[in-house]
Amino acid sequence: MARITGRELKNLVGTFGVVATLAGLAFGLPAVDRAFSAERSLRAGVPVDVGAGVTVVPPSGATLDVTGTRPGDTMGSALFRLGAVQYRIAVRPFDGDLETAASRLRQRITGTPGYQVTGSQLAVGTVDGLDGLQGGYTAPGRGGRYAVFVGDGLTIEVTISGNDLDLGRTLPQIEASTRTLRVDGSGR
Amino acid sequence: MISAEVRPGRAAALARVPAFWVVAALLVAGGVRMTQIAGRFATVYPVATVTAVLLFALLAVPFWLVVSELDFLEREPIELLVLAFAWGGLVATSVSIPASTAGDNLIAKLGSPELAAGWGAALAGPAVEEIAKTLGVVVIVLIARPQINSVLDGVVYGAMVGLGFQIAEDIVFAVGAVALAGQGDQIQPVIATFLLRGFVSGVWSHTLFGALAGAGIGYLVVRRDRGLARRIGVALLALLGAWASHALWNSPLLIDGLGNGALALLAVLVLKGLPPLLLILWLVRHAHDREADYYVGHLATLRDSELITESEMKVLGSGSARASARRLAGESAGHAGRHAVRRLQRAQARLAVELSRSSSGETLETCEQIRIQRKVLRGLGHPEAIAGPRSWRHTASTIITTVVAIAVLWVALSALGGA
Repeated sequence: MARITGRELKNLVGTFGVVATLAGLAFGLPAVDRAFSAERSLRAGVPVDVGAGVTVVPPSGATLDVTGTRPGDTMGSALFRLGAVQYRIAVRPFDGDLETAASRLRQRITGTPGYQVTGSQLAVGTVDGLDGLQGGYTAPGRGGRYAVFVGDGLTIEVTISGNDLDLGRTLPQIEASTRTLRVDGSGR
Repeated sequence: MISAEVRPGRAAALARVPAFWVVAALLVAGGVRMTQIAGRFATVYPVATVTAVLLFALLAVPFWLVVSELDFLEREPIELLVLAFAWGGLVATSVSIPASTAGDNLIAKLGSPELAAGWGAALAGPAVEEIAKTLGVVVIVLIARPQINSVLDGVVYGAMVGLGFQIAEDIVFAVGAVALAGQGDQIQPVIATFLLRGFVSGVWSHTLFGALAGAGIGYLVVRRDRGLARRIGVALLALLGAWASHALWNSPLLIDGLGNGALALLAVLVLKGLPPLLLILWLVRHAHDREADYYVGHLATLRDSELITESEMKVLGSGSARASARRLAGESAGHAGRHAVRRLQRAQARLAVELSRSSSGETLETCEQIRIQRKVLRGLGHPEAIAGPRSWRHTASTIITTVVAIAVLWVALSALGGA
């Protein structure tokens, strides 16, 4: 039977070390990430910073998912969860009009395989006077709503997704929250 | 003194090394993963994906040529350079995508979403990516240890791993920009990404960071005259340096500090990118000179001016002197002269490596090639490949090239909204 030489053994140990380090990065680190909860409770009625000076009052009972929340100086995002429903807001610099912003969001939604925009768009607004457009979309096993607002050199994109039953129950609260979107201009 | 650190060995029989098969499996797994990502892109944005692949593949060519030319005297085998590039583009990227996301999430969970928004890209990405890339140099050591003969070899393999990573990441970012723009299968976001990541920040990117970490692995492997603790310390320090350079580059520092405009953006790029660039250039120069002394020392023992003259020995050890000798031959003997000097220099470099390996059979053949080129040069009336004086044309060409490079950078910055 062939014996393993010292050099081959060293080579095997080194190779095992490389594979173990890669496995640690590719699987270990995500496992550690999953071990910590991403959800944070929110105080009712207190506005949350979305980024670029945009704030929103989240729906009561919603939690903040910190993995989808990145409030930056010039752009940002916030992800709220109401049970199985996801309520996501994204803000970024934009120099076009509302129609263009809505068209781009629709393109991105339909760019995901299986996602389709449904029905026509309706005009919406916020308490603070931001004009927007909203519509609906379907995806495999779930449905959704989207809304876009443009103001102060920013586009604010809202996407809501969940199954029809949960959506029907939570949409009124989420739409009320969307109307509290506000741009204070501090991020510009 | 001739250093043992640059003594080369025989090429390893790859298939007989256990690590080779593991690395092959990892490359296949990484290839499948990256093909899945590219396939998803190509389905939704076919024109943009093809454009991104073509543009960044073109960008890889000059980087590849520069990196592979770094070690003129003892060139790295093409199969190992390809392996290093593939590790960076397939394995390191596949591992870094989920790991960087997890790292970023952990910063948000254990710190805050604000911290992750500001510093996530500076802390999570570099920590994961620099380790994954450095492992690419480690696997080269495991597969073909005799091919790592100097710190410069580590620099070359590290830079090549970084280049593979950089090109794959650039393509992913370019098509990601197309998706984010929400204007369908357009190529404008690809062009903007190409200008930003290719020209503006291309010089001080993963190729540079990988080279620094690779130098550490090279030192760990070849400097057997130093203690193990010191060698491990230097390797860790080099990895830390790569991480720190990458973190500084990704950090939000100076984002608002120097105002708006192309000049301010250029100043930020220089302030954040120049320290690692200068460090690596110094390191490459130092490692190159050390290696050149070793090999030219072998040629000096020949004492045969037909094979190499005293002046040619001085020329062979320096990249700029070699280029100057080719220019001088071109001026005095035309294209044929330049070509013959290039061949002579390559054969002399090969002879130096063969002498260090004591492979007499190969040496005879290489000596014959040198004599043939010497005869060609004599026939052209330019018998010696010596460096010429610095000509005004060369100085003017260098100045013009620098001005054009700055102009291209300026245009790129302005096109991206810096001005």
